[in-house]
Formats: sequence, structure tokens, C-alpha cells
Amino acid sequence: MVEFRNVSYTYPTGQHALNHINLKIDDGEFAFIVGANGAGKSTLIKLILRELTATEGEVTVNGFNLSKMKKRMIPKLRRTIGVVFQDFRLIPTMNVYDNVAFALRVTDAPTKYLRSRVPYVIGLVGLTQKAKSYPNDLSGGEQQRVALARALVADPDLIIADEPTGNVDPARSFEIVDLLKSINDTAGTTVMMVTHQHDLVKYFGGRIININSGTIAFDEVIGGADET
Amino acid sequence: MRLRSLKYLLKQGVSGLWSNRINSFASLCVITISLMMVGISVLISININNMIGSIESRNEVTVVISDGTPENNVNLLGQQLGENPNIFEVTFCSKDEAWEGLLSSMSEEEIRDFRYIKDNPLPDSYRIRVKDISELSRTVSEISTLEFVDSVESPDDFASILVGLRNVVTVLFSAVILALIIVCFVIISNSTRTSVYARRREINIMRYVGASKSFIEIPFFIEGLLIGILSAGIAFGITWLAYAEVYSMFSTDVSMLSIFGFGAIMPFEEIALPTGLSYLGVGIFISAIGTVIAARKHLNV
Repeated sequence: MVEFRNVSYTYPTGQHALNHINLKIDDGEFAFIVGANGAGKSTLIKLILRELTATEGEVTVNGFNLSKMKKRMIPKLRRTIGVVFQDFRLIPTMNVYDNVAFALRVTDAPTKYLRSRVPYVIGLVGLTQKAKSYPNDLSGGEQQRVALARALVADPDLIIADEPTGNVDPARSFEIVDLLKSINDTAGTTVMMVTHQHDLVKYFGGRIININSGTIAFDEVIGGADET
Repeated sequence: MRLRSLKYLLKQGVSGLWSNRINSFASLCVITISLMMVGISVLISININNMIGSIESRNEVTVVISDGTPENNVNLLGQQLGENPNIFEVTFCSKDEAWEGLLSSMSEEEIRDFRYIKDNPLPDSYRIRVKDISELSRTVSEISTLEFVDSVESPDDFASILVGLRNVVTVLFSAVILALIIVCFVIISNSTRTSVYARRREINIMRYVGASKSFIEIPFFIEGLLIGILSAGIAFGITWLAYAEVYSMFSTDVSMLSIFGFGAIMPFEEIALPTGLSYLGVGIFISAIGTVIAARKHLNV
């Protein structure tokens, strides 16, 4: 669960990125975050990941009160969140298996669990045949699936997908969102997806949160084309 | 921290060392040189102390008592000498004992030359030994001012040269070592910054997937640890070879032996363990601690 209570954030330069935001995303929800460049979407994500601390108000994520949380607790918070980036952020010197396993290795997960969990998640994103391939040998869509597998492998409560389809061709974009939707449906994982692609939002529908000039301009559930 | 993580981190540390090899090599060289400077300074000090100790152990200052001094005053002088804080042994040597000692040290030919001397020409004296040879000159001056002292004969020249040399070595090497340690930290900091930059992608992902601060820092600590251990090993090897040469020179060269005598330089076997441990300790301290401090600065986790 993600909750923003009267949250504002002002950068040290004096730029007001978010102004008195109130937002609640319940467990198991799927929400699109949309808005123009500089609207405050990235700041919102950074606050959830505790890269930034709200200058005003209170942010709660998966039971962690981020405004009062000590720095040493940040890794514990992040283990409950899976993040997918527009630029994939895969390690080019590691193959698909190792890229996915990396997220478990650095959190000191038991080897036995790692050996069963990693192939399962790679299978979930449909890349079993490519487990030994290196990122540079994969298409953009496949690389994003690897990134998604890495986000999923630690079984997070929340997935934040920051423009996950930005570097993927349109056909593969729908597949990525479809995959996120199915993870949301089957595992009940909360998903927050930041996007600029209105066609995707219109197609899938659901909860749409539009951020404009640091405030929430629109927060409603709309029906998608895929439901028809 | 479990064993499997330790294995992984160790692998990461070694791989970091290799991928950052040019900077690692620079760190290795500068730490090795610094360690050798520390080692040379310590070895010189140990050996000078050894020489000074040897002189101290056989040093004997002769306090010649003015001729005709009454027995009471001779005793009084003995008491005054005993009260001096830097004197730990006072032995009275009568003129007869001195004469016998002189004759016993002579060859028969020399004794024959002395046969015409009817009266013992030697004076009564006190033979004293000092605690701290570096204070010898001051002690001799103090004794010289005492009443009934005719003269003071002391072998303080060589000792004072050694003490001076030890002080110069201490000051000079301390300054050089301090400068080198600063250089070490600067080079380690740069090397670590490069290493952090080279691994920025992994570090960034580590942060997002919830790796702990120590998990991110440990590979850098291992890198530093390995550089420290390698530097200590190389410095120890070079010191060993160089010291063996110096030791052989001091043990076999006649001119050196005539100046310093046997046993002036300690064999390396006697000082190998403390030297090796010092190298290891200082090497690990400089590189591992330096790396962690630099990593914390550049990682900002």
C-alpha cells in the first residue's frame, strides 16, 4: 500500500516539485501515473523509493513510514519494491539468469531458493530459452522482460515501472503492460506504472492518476478497450 | 553475513581489483614504497638502539679523584655519585687495583719497560655506569663540577653520534612516512573513485534491489585488503633481500667490523616476525581503511 498524506517536495534549488499531494494506492491495485515532463512523476517515484524525503507531509509504503524511517532501513523498504526502468539497467557482463539472480544474491537469499526461484521467474516472463543470453543479444522488449523478471524475483509487494515501454517498439509495449497486468491479477502485486503513452492507458484502462505541476489533476478509474 | 555472501563478495573484490588493475597497481606501488620507508626507518632505529644498548652495557666512565683527597671525602664523593639519577652503578677502584689492572693488561715486554717506576702513578677513581647514554654528556658535566673530582674520562663521542643519528632518522623518516601516507590516501581515494565509477551500474541496481550498505562497501574493503596484503608481502621480500646484503657487509667487511664490532647489526631472523607483522598491519590499515573511507565518500550510500 502506498499513501501520500499532504506531501510536498521542494528541491534544494527552490523548485517546488510536488504540492500537498494526497494519494492512496491499495494493495493489489494497478495504477497508471501520467503527466507531462517535469510534472512531478519522477519526484513521486523517488519519494516512494526513499531516494528523496518529503519536505512536508507523510509518505507510507508497504507499512514503512518514510518520513520517520532511519537511513539504515532503506534496504529493507526496497526489498519490498521491484523497480523497472525505461533504460532496463541490466548488467551487460551478466547473462539473463545472473542478471535476475543478482537481485536475490545481493539480499543474501539462500542458494536453494535462488536456484528454484530464478528459473521460475524467467519462465514467467517467457525467456527460459534465453536464460544464457547476454543483454546485448536481446531485443528491447526482451531486455525489458529481463528487467521485469529481476523486479519480480524477490516477490515484492509493489512494482514501480518507470516508463517501461519507452524503449520498446509499440507491439512489444502492449506485451509488457499485459505482463504487468497478469502479475497484478495472479500474484496480487500492486503495480504503479508511469507512462507517456496514452494509447496504452486508453487500451488497458483502470486507475489513471494524472499529475500536473506538482498536483494531482485527475485520479479516476476508466474502462479500457481490452475490456470490450 | 553468510558464507555464500562472503564468497560472492570475495569474488567481487578480486574482480574489482583486476578490472581496476592500473589504479590498483599504482596503489600497490605507493603502499609498498611507504611500507618500505616505514620498515627501513624501524630497522635503522632498531639497529641503532642495539648499538647504543651495546655501548651502554659496556660503557664505563672513570671519575678520577684528585690526588691526596682524604678517605672521608672520597666516600662522600661516592655517595654524591650514587645520588645522580642517571648513574646506576658506582665502583671504587683504588690506585693499587688500578695499577694491578694495568699491569695485567700489559704484555711482558711492556711490563719490563715499567720496571723503573717505583711509585704507583695512578690515582684513586670511581668507575660508574650510566642508565641512559643519551644523557651521558650532561651526567659527565655534572660529575665534573663535584668537589675532589680531578677529571672524568668517558667514551661519549660515538654514543652521542649514534643518538644524534637516531634522532635524525626518526625525524626525517617520520616526515617522509607522513607525506607518503597522505600520498597513499590520495591515490587510494582516486583508485576507489575509478572503481566506483566502473561499477556504478551494478551499485545503482544494488541500491534499488535493497542491498545493504555493508554489502555494497565490502567488495571495496576486500580490494583494499588484498592490495594491503600484496604490498606487505612485496615490501617484506625486498626488505629481506636488502637487509641480507647490509648484514653480510657488516659481518664480513673488515673496516665495518673495526668500527662497529661483531653483533652490531641484528640478523634478519630475529626481527623478521615483528617486521612482517608491522608491514601487514600498516599495509592493511592504510589500504583497507583508506579504501572504505574513500568508498563511503564516493558511493554516498
